[in-house]
Amino acid sequence: MKSRIIWALIACACCVVLRASTADAQSSDSTRGYDGALRFESFWGNAKIIRGADGPVVGTAGWFRSFDVEKVVATSPPALAEARVFKTNNFRGSVVGSIGALATVVGVVVAANGSNAASPILIIGGVGAMGWGVQHMNTAVRALSRSLWWYNRDLARHGAPAPTVGRVDPVK
Amino acid sequence: MSRLSLVLFVAQLLMMEASAMAAQESGYDENALRVESRQGNLQILRGIDGKVAARGGIFHGPDLSDLVIQSDSALAEAKVFERDYQPGQWLAGLGIATLGAAIGASRINDINPVIQVGLTATSFVSIAYGAKKLHSAYGALSKAIWWYNRDLKR
Repeated sequence: MKSRIIWALIACACCVVLRASTADAQSSDSTRGYDGALRFESFWGNAKIIRGADGPVVGTAGWFRSFDVEKVVATSPPALAEARVFKTNNFRGSVVGSIGALATVVGVVVAANGSNAASPILIIGGVGAMGWGVQHMNTAVRALSRSLWWYNRDLARHGAPAPTVGRVDPVK
Repeated sequence: MSRLSLVLFVAQLLMMEASAMAAQESGYDENALRVESRQGNLQILRGIDGKVAARGGIFHGPDLSDLVIQSDSALAEAKVFERDYQPGQWLAGLGIATLGAAIGASRINDINPVIQVGLTATSFVSIAYGAKKLHSAYGALSKAIWWYNRDLKR
């Protein structure tokens, strides 16, 4: 009876030690997996997508930038859905914002060269279009933030492979 | 009887293992941060639900240090963010205001040209220096969030 209790205690001790070492290994694996996680830095309406804290620039997205975020986050379905929202809004924002800026400049030039009934319409319409474009660009950047959040979550959880698209430059 | 207790004990250990793994996964889902901008204001959101963890407005940034204090690397970046964000916003704002003053001065016929040149130069320098500070601040913010989320996994 005593020996059985001793064997039971030894078995339990082995389980506890095994569990502790497994937890350590999982923890360090998940941290290592997260080292390939993505983040973005925004500047002047563009967003540099960077892998790791000081890692390479995977690509630059933003004003008329055709960088394929969908391809980078393709391994995570929720990230992919957000990347599509980013792509749609980024394109709309770029096009409408640019048309708005052009209309505003034309309106100001027309107004400066004499009175013309079209100039107030161009200026008001242009500023409105620029505002609409900025709104869409903001929606795009929010979607990009969510996309990378989901991608990093699934990367840390499953250690998904990290495809690299576009140019790869060291972060300055 | 002792065999039954042994089996029960091992089963309990396995259940503990499963719940520990679930807790590790929910750590990121519930606590990982991300940054979003709404109407020009910075917001730091937490978890899947996107609860607002900190918010910054015009001329004041979110309290990042308090938020990421658990991670040393994140805290170091948060301090860089807090050092650069507010001065960057003030300088950029001052530059835009000075540019407006320079445009206004250009409409006055008998103004000293030195004042006009001075205002224009000040505005460009302020905007450029403010933009540099803001660029540094946004970079540090991105890194701070990245480090915080990474260290959640430990």
